[in-house]
Amino acid sequence: MKKIIVAGLILSSALFGAEHVIDQKGKTFIPHAITVAVGDTLVFKNSDPFAHNAFTDNAANEFDTGMQAPGNDISIKVKAAGVFNVECAIHPNMLLTVTAK
Amino acid sequence: MRAILAIVLLLGIVNASEQFKMGEKIYKETCLSCHGADGNGNPHVSFIVNPRKLTQTILTQEQAYKIIKNGAHAMGAAADIMPSFKSVLNEEELHAVAHYIYKKFDPKAQERIDELYAKSDAIAQEQVEQMLKHGKKIYNRNCSWCHAVNGDGNGEATKNPEMSIFPYNLVKSLLDEKQMFLYAKHGGKYWGTRKEDMPAWGNKYDDYTLKSVVKYINVQLKGEAK
Repeated sequence: MKKIIVAGLILSSALFGAEHVIDQKGKTFIPHAITVAVGDTLVFKNSDPFAHNAFTDNAANEFDTGMQAPGNDISIKVKAAGVFNVECAIHPNMLLTVTAK
Repeated sequence: MRAILAIVLLLGIVNASEQFKMGEKIYKETCLSCHGADGNGNPHVSFIVNPRKLTQTILTQEQAYKIIKNGAHAMGAAADIMPSFKSVLNEEELHAVAHYIYKKFDPKAQERIDELYAKSDAIAQEQVEQMLKHGKKIYNRNCSWCHAVNGDGNGEATKNPEMSIFPYNLVKSLLDEKQMFLYAKHGGKYWGTRKEDMPAWGNKYDDYTLKSVVKYINVQLKGEAK
């Protein structure tokens, strides 16, 4: 039974991709660098008492969360391999480097 | 002729000294309770009013006079904490207290501002059209969340009650392009605010980009607001 569950988890992970939580806390992305697989999902949390706006200009993975209120989660699927930076439009010192393989 | 010149100079010094004394008296009676004896804020009230540090001003003496006279809200501040003193002080007294604040707490402010600006990249005037386009893009992406697309300070980010941010109404701001550029580059804390509401965008953008944003605010947004 255990083997079936483990196999199921591996299969669903392969089919739907893994989730990686990126917290935004103290005007910092935590972690500030992450390696993921194409198809994985970045889940942006906001633990600060104010809004954030994560985005990247990377053409292959372009996204913009828009205004993200405190306590909200926003999921972004990684579409293409490569290394790209994610910034916050409101807080200039926030930087996340994503390596997608 | 020399004697007349000496008398004129002497009278000027006496007048400035009289103005300083008048300003000092008013400051101690009226301003000290919030701004503190050293201009850095009275620690006993700073948890309520968070006054700016007068020792790190970006304002000219004339701009300080206008804020004392009309209150900060009329000059673009979101919160109505720094009140207007025009019903309490006459013109002579308003100028005297601005003179005192400037001379006492930050006499080298203008020198410091000019030096900082001189170190920034010079931008050729013929680039204005390009700057307006670039400035608009950056403004809408980074600044409009707080300062709003039209610059009135009521951006999306202010609508969240948990946030407690009070962005300036940029179209009412007294700052000229040089001051606004330096404020954006170094951030509010560098210029005397206690919180880091206005970040130092110089950590992210080059001088050309920041000057473009300021150009867009001054030419486009202030122009539309007239």
